[in-house]
Amino acid sequence: MKFLKNIFAFLIPLLSMLIAFSIFLLINNVVDNYKTQISRDYSIVIVSNTPIEKDTFSELAGIKVERIQALPNEKIIANIKTNLSNNSIELLKQKLPNFYQIYLEIFPTSSELEEIKQTLLQNKNIKKVEVFYKNHNQIYLLLLLLNSVSFILFFIITIFAIIIIAKQIKLWFHEHNIKISILRLHGASILYSASSILNYALLSSFLAFLITTCFLYYVSNNMDVLFPLELHDIVDIEINLPFELMKIFLLSFSISIFTIFGVLLKYKIKND
Amino acid sequence: MIEAKNIYLTYDDNKYIIKKGNFSIKPKEFIFIGGNSGSGKSTLLKSFYGDIPLKHGSLKIENQEVFGIKGKKLRLLRKDIGIIFQDYKLVNEFTIEENIMIPLKINGYSHEVSRDQANKLLAHVRLTHRAGYYPNELSGGEQQRVAVARALAHNPKIIIADEPTGNLDDYSAEVVWNLLKGANEQLGITVVVVTHRVPKNLGIKFRQLSIEDGIIYEVS
Repeated sequence: MKFLKNIFAFLIPLLSMLIAFSIFLLINNVVDNYKTQISRDYSIVIVSNTPIEKDTFSELAGIKVERIQALPNEKIIANIKTNLSNNSIELLKQKLPNFYQIYLEIFPTSSELEEIKQTLLQNKNIKKVEVFYKNHNQIYLLLLLLNSVSFILFFIITIFAIIIIAKQIKLWFHEHNIKISILRLHGASILYSASSILNYALLSSFLAFLITTCFLYYVSNNMDVLFPLELHDIVDIEINLPFELMKIFLLSFSISIFTIFGVLLKYKIKND
Repeated sequence: MIEAKNIYLTYDDNKYIIKKGNFSIKPKEFIFIGGNSGSGKSTLLKSFYGDIPLKHGSLKIENQEVFGIKGKKLRLLRKDIGIIFQDYKLVNEFTIEENIMIPLKINGYSHEVSRDQANKLLAHVRLTHRAGYYPNELSGGEQQRVAVARALAHNPKIIIADEPTGNLDDYSAEVVWNLLKGANEQLGITVVVVTHRVPKNLGIKFRQLSIEDGIIYEVS
């Protein structure tokens, strides 16, 4: 009974944190999927006097550019060459500015696109900037808001969970104080002396991870539990389960181990 | 070998419990440290295993300086010592057998070797039939015999005992004295005992130190 009580006191805050993290991951995935889906629904075309490369472009505008695609001038010339002489075509080739299409690392909102346009226009070498986009703002901003809210919730739950976990570990230290001091008097290290506490914490972490795995597995197969069915028509709701589980595993054990070592360090400083 | 030169011990800097302590204990000696209650006998003993830091002076246990000792060196020093307390200090969550295995496991022996050694010692202190019991299921005398077995388990060079018979009846006290005597005579372990009641007819050669007003005297 006492063993179960000890395990649950550690398990519940950790589990709350991991479930909150899973929900954040799910929403983050939805946002990412949506971003990918709409990422080609905008276009930034610039006209420049001088050739521009990706790095110099980033320096000029201070924006994160994924790639720059140079638009070949031949197409433009081909459209109008029927009415021009060869000499005029040659002259046009020399005089035509450079055309580029820019792809960003992030999906920009309409206001961000406008901001990018203004930043680019401040550069003397850039003659013209044209921005085209479909308006996804409402859904995208709502998803971003949902993502931020879920992250804030996860963050707050994590802080409370760490406080509760640290208190529980201190309580275990208090309960095992005599045992720890006897073992230390016999020459044991603090880590060896507190091995039963470590075992409790690791077992609780593993159980929390297992329960979260079941939760995530269930949700990934029944997405309508969290997201309305209609959302499936708008955005692809799928997650890479093994990858997300790895993140949860790392979080579960790192939070436990860091908290334990924090308390161990405090105990060592106090008692040495 | 224990050698103290000009040692000072204090808990709060205002009053020295031990002042200018000078003494030397040779290997295989049996030593009693006496004195009135509160004279600093237990404090002196605690300084042997680094539980109380020295304020001044030099204390060497098996050539290891105890002044300022901490960390790995302190752990190694404690591995060389067997300690017996008046209140036994057995781990209540462990069985008797597991309690005796503590110093062996800390010294890196395998579970099987530790268990074999623990069972030999249980036979030595005549508690084989209690191996699976927990400390609170044993009488005070039996618990102290377990504590002696635990102190002997890892074959230490020194055994330190703080009032080992203070809570025991005459019969149990005699059993404990005989075990300590055997450890000294047969195993050649240096035994340092703090007590205000030196047993009569111990049947062994011993030396006696006494503490009065913080000063350590050689009695005999």
